[in-house]
Amino acid sequence: MGPNKVNITLTRRRFIKSVIFSAAAASSGAGWYMASAASNPAGGVERLVSINVNGRVRRVDVLPQETLAHTLRYKLGLTGTKVACNRGECGACTVLIDDVNYYSCSTLTHNVKDRAVLTVEGLRAEDGTLHAVQAAFIQELSPACGFCTSGQVMSAVALLKANPKPTRQQAREAMSGNLCRCGAYDHYLNGVMRASGQLS
Amino acid sequence: MPSNDNMPEMSLYQPVQVEDAISLAGTLAERGWLVGGGQDTYGWIKDRAKRPEALIDLNGIESMRGISETADGIEIGALVTLTELANNALVKERYSLLSSAAGRVASPQIRNIGTLGGNVAQDVRCWYYRRGLNCYRAGGNLCYADTPEGQNREHALFGASRCVAVSPSDTAPALVALEAQMVIRNASGERVVAAEDFFIGPDVDIRHTTVLRAGDVLTAVRIPAKWANAEFYFEKVADRNVWDFALVSISAAMKVTNGTIEESRMVAGAVECTPRRLTSVEQAIQGRARNQETADAVASLASQGAKPLNYNHFKMPLMDNLVKRALTV
Amino acid sequence: MTYMHIGKNFTPPDVEAKVTGAARYTEDFRRDGMVFARLLTSPLPSGRVVSIDASEALAMEGVLGVFTADDLPPSLPPANPALAKDFITYIGQPILAVAAESDLIAENAIEKIKIVFERRPFVTDPLDTLLEGGPDPYPTGNTLIRNAAAGAAAAGTTASGTDVGRIKWSLDQVTAFRNGREPVGATFGEEWAYGDVAAEFAQCKTIVEEPFVTIGYPHHSLEPRSGMAFWENGKCYFHGSLQSHTVGHAQLSAMLEIDPANLVFINENTGGGFGSKIFPYPIMAVTGKFARKLNRPLQMRITREEEFYIGSARSGMQGWLKVGLKDDGKVGAVDVIIINDAGSGGGGSAGSSAEHISLMYQPTAMRFRGVALYTNTTPRGAQRGPGQNEMASVLAPIMDKAAREGGFDRLAMRRANAPRPDAKFGPRQGGLSSSYMPEAIEKAAAMFRWDERVAQPKVTANNKVRGIGLGMGFHSAGANGYDGLLRIATDGKIYLHTGVGNLGTYSYAGVLRAAAEALQCSWENCVVVHGNSDLNLPHSTYQGGSNTMFTETRSSHVAALDAIRKLKEIAAADLGGAADDYSVGGERVFLTSDQAKGLTFAEAAQKAIDLGGEYSGQVYPEDINATTKRSVEAMKGTGLIGVAKDTLPKQGTAPGFAIAFVEIEMDLDTGKYDITDYTAVAECGTVVHPQGLSQAMNGGGVWGIGMAGYERHVYDPQNGLPANVGLYQSKPPTYLDVPAQMLTAGMDMPDPQSPVGARGIGEPAQGCGAAALMSAISDALDGHLFNRTPVTPDMIVNHVAQNGFNTGELKTNTF
Repeated sequence: MGPNKVNITLTRRRFIKSVIFSAAAASSGAGWYMASAASNPAGGVERLVSINVNGRVRRVDVLPQETLAHTLRYKLGLTGTKVACNRGECGACTVLIDDVNYYSCSTLTHNVKDRAVLTVEGLRAEDGTLHAVQAAFIQELSPACGFCTSGQVMSAVALLKANPKPTRQQAREAMSGNLCRCGAYDHYLNGVMRASGQLS
Repeated sequence: MPSNDNMPEMSLYQPVQVEDAISLAGTLAERGWLVGGGQDTYGWIKDRAKRPEALIDLNGIESMRGISETADGIEIGALVTLTELANNALVKERYSLLSSAAGRVASPQIRNIGTLGGNVAQDVRCWYYRRGLNCYRAGGNLCYADTPEGQNREHALFGASRCVAVSPSDTAPALVALEAQMVIRNASGERVVAAEDFFIGPDVDIRHTTVLRAGDVLTAVRIPAKWANAEFYFEKVADRNVWDFALVSISAAMKVTNGTIEESRMVAGAVECTPRRLTSVEQAIQGRARNQETADAVASLASQGAKPLNYNHFKMPLMDNLVKRALTV
Repeated sequence: MTYMHIGKNFTPPDVEAKVTGAARYTEDFRRDGMVFARLLTSPLPSGRVVSIDASEALAMEGVLGVFTADDLPPSLPPANPALAKDFITYIGQPILAVAAESDLIAENAIEKIKIVFERRPFVTDPLDTLLEGGPDPYPTGNTLIRNAAAGAAAAGTTASGTDVGRIKWSLDQVTAFRNGREPVGATFGEEWAYGDVAAEFAQCKTIVEEPFVTIGYPHHSLEPRSGMAFWENGKCYFHGSLQSHTVGHAQLSAMLEIDPANLVFINENTGGGFGSKIFPYPIMAVTGKFARKLNRPLQMRITREEEFYIGSARSGMQGWLKVGLKDDGKVGAVDVIIINDAGSGGGGSAGSSAEHISLMYQPTAMRFRGVALYTNTTPRGAQRGPGQNEMASVLAPIMDKAAREGGFDRLAMRRANAPRPDAKFGPRQGGLSSSYMPEAIEKAAAMFRWDERVAQPKVTANNKVRGIGLGMGFHSAGANGYDGLLRIATDGKIYLHTGVGNLGTYSYAGVLRAAAEALQCSWENCVVVHGNSDLNLPHSTYQGGSNTMFTETRSSHVAALDAIRKLKEIAAADLGGAADDYSVGGERVFLTSDQAKGLTFAEAAQKAIDLGGEYSGQVYPEDINATTKRSVEAMKGTGLIGVAKDTLPKQGTAPGFAIAFVEIEMDLDTGKYDITDYTAVAECGTVVHPQGLSQAMNGGGVWGIGMAGYERHVYDPQNGLPANVGLYQSKPPTYLDVPAQMLTAGMDMPDPQSPVGARGIGEPAQGCGAAALMSAISDALDGHLFNRTPVTPDMIVNHVAQNGFNTGELKTNTF
């Protein structure tokens, strides 16, 4: 299935202002993003897009079907984001997109082109200071094996952006999309309460 | 069993106008796959159990977002996320049944991206079918679940027809209870289908759980004013309180005047391939008080006619109990 | 005793990297030219590979090679082969690996491989293969035979010296057993007894006889067991995920068929193991050897589904138990039969299940009989308290029943039978290093306010009832004979080397605090050296079986004592007087009578280098392990070396004990319950690291909740297909399935056989929680017994409805 087989008449007003990365689609004035690797089953045809990760705009080749977790880990070298199930069943890959937490294993990279992606690597202040959640998680010895920790950190950061002083119950619900196989839930919740200044 | 994990090669279309999406959907037909939040989609595709040639990503279509008031109720764009639905002031105020149901779907992250359209259009979760076995629903000629040794704890009590999978959606029963109207567009125009008719059982079409066909785009859901501010009850019982699909859920809408139930819609989830309206319960409670006495008198009607399999008998008392609670809480 | 470090919280060196994402796990390592390997796994539960045609895959652009069982040394059942060929024994068993330039190409290539299989009969229920004429999971039989000459295999694993045999029961015997009766005249694979069981039963006023089933379930460590290997100058560099470090080094070298000196094993962080990564696992052989075959760095990526298949699982049990209580509430006799579901190539853990009963209830006489049977399900191995924890959970409500029938308060009955310091247990009637379990029971009961709660009303609201329960966990928690190694360097720092793995319990660092304690030095001047065999690590214990704390505080301590002796000798030689005239503290060795006279550690380190010999590692004790010797050799002349083998006295079993109390509020309409109180107390000797203990007790509690209420294998007996390969079907508890807050504490009473009094606690933390929850569920339902784990809402709803479907037939591996 290549782009040439689709023939839809479009008007100028449907153009999108951001990048149209498919040359074929752009030349025909298509109003949709269209990415295809069909001409090269080995995955050679990659499309260059700009994504804003941790405050930096990065240019990266992205396959049409590529997940954000894949792009972050394998193309941008941001391996702090973990993939433990690759099915949205654990939360280890949680990142923020425009301040909201998502499973990056179940988000297409082509869907975050105009949005701000924040990963665990982007939390430190410019002077190197740890984010309040990170500092609190250290103090409360929140991580156990650590494989889910990046995701837990990101969900806690998302929560505190939306609700700076959550109750423990609110924190429990907000964090509930992050599985911890070691069962360190109590310690993570203590960390959230500490990071929000409610535990000293 | 192959253990696939990568998204295989496919094309991706990202239309920004609903007309383009409809056009693409029509042109690509069975070769295309519409994606909202994608939370059901990506698993199928990573497992290579479904192999579309192209994804049509609807997320750029602004007209399919937002919740607005209409002359008769509200209209919810199909791309409205479950989190938005759970938190929307208007929905919470008038149709808390739907916001409650949306708030119990899967996990926070899934609700943040999962859409109402996707939640109602998602495929069944029968584990045999999901594992890629060639069952009736997958185009084969047998059912693995409905056998003497089938592991069918999560399967259907009602409406089995070769397939015994259940409707997994939490919002679907709520929409049926609220007499929602589903707005569907395709190349030939727009049609509006009652939620109750939108979901179809295996007796009607074993390959589909809704009336949506190749080329159709569910663009919006309309909730009529009729049930605004009625008395509602939603409860979902699942093994784990996060991620898991309902073992049984109940969505109830009741108009109660002077202590008497004038009219009601009682709909159970996860007991049949479609949301199951409990019409005998609805009839039995009409004109009665919403109280324990009524509950005790009518609850057993809920499971009447059930045909349990080997491991799902519990769904009968469970649905009866949930009806009882809907009438007493 | 007042300690400088022991019993105080500290920040383990790896925590910060975990919260910043800098901590690297196996899959995070990349290397130029790295290729990606993926597995093709069996679609059959039993059979063999007739032929493989990979030509189409190999012709694909970017595909580099295929690796099959023929590339590995032959393997015979019941050994768990890295890649199967002649003996496929479960769906999902790896058959071959494909390597390609990308993960995606490798996966695409797998679709192009054609394999001709031959089917064999299969079985998913151990009782089906036990039945005369029933199918066997292996062509040669259904049960493990241990070849005594080769020595016992490690718990839950299959090592050499094992064979497949066959045990069958008649239909009458199987039927009796299924129905909860003793199978008269049946054959067993293992058997032990002590005391006069019949005579003791005759003394018992209350006798309870019950069947039971526990269903095994996958470990599902969050980090799948991916590996990465590359070869350079004849050495293999291996990034892996093990919960132990040096103890696996020799085994992994053997799997790769290389000299241990040529293996660099790198594993700083491990994303969970729970017993499934104690020792190197078979697929690691493929990673290393395939990398060598292709002469490229190679990542073997294991998916979540594959982690289910090859990531190990707990054994299931099907059993029969008869227990007798005497007038004083003491357990007079126990008779127990356990059929283990050992999956493919597991050993089963029935013996340790029986030992749990023996220790925790101290029956005067006891008999155990068991059979470990293979099934065509995933390989089973050690999982957090194998045997003991599932026994604890299914036993608790049965013992509750005995207490009720005997007219005893459930707590009082436990109190009467609690293992005291002179407790004996198991077939050998061995003793304990110490026990403060009676005190722990009292402490936990007081924290929970048992007496008060027992008296509270049962019904809390419309169709809601309270249930309270208690449970106990045990695991043997300590070994001896490992080596300690440290180096005081000329920078004045103390480099504490450990070969303990980093499972995430932080005990790898906690145990080193015993060395800092002995050296009376500040923790800030200590550097923890671990996670890479090129860093000169000692031979340390495997991290599993709650072993680390007891075992490794001992080896850390002896290394520190060796360093202290050397420091004093150096000071005496340099400054005069006898070694005994000197003391150590504040990173100095000084004259006790005149503290101004002394050497800094930095100065002493330089003098050690100048002196050479044993002081700087040119000479070392003969009794240390070859791994440690290699490390000392590599470190010689770089500072003052403290190195010793732990030869401190050790007698009896060092126990890890825990007791939990649980209160639930159960909704009779839905079968769901809220855990309204979770209180658990650890009896693990001196508490070394309070936050670490709390982490272990909370995490164990969550695991207990998983065992009691959620997790199990489900297999379709029609086709041998597992239902729960993913996390959502396996149902590990989430934030919203466990209490919002759990209350835990430690007894903090010293074990005399550890220099700092410490024992381990990992496993019992789960067993006590699972048992207490099972006990509470039963209590909420007026003592009803489900006789199984897990108990799920459907069972509770059916029971309350009295619809005759309350549990169905007791069977493992099904709903």
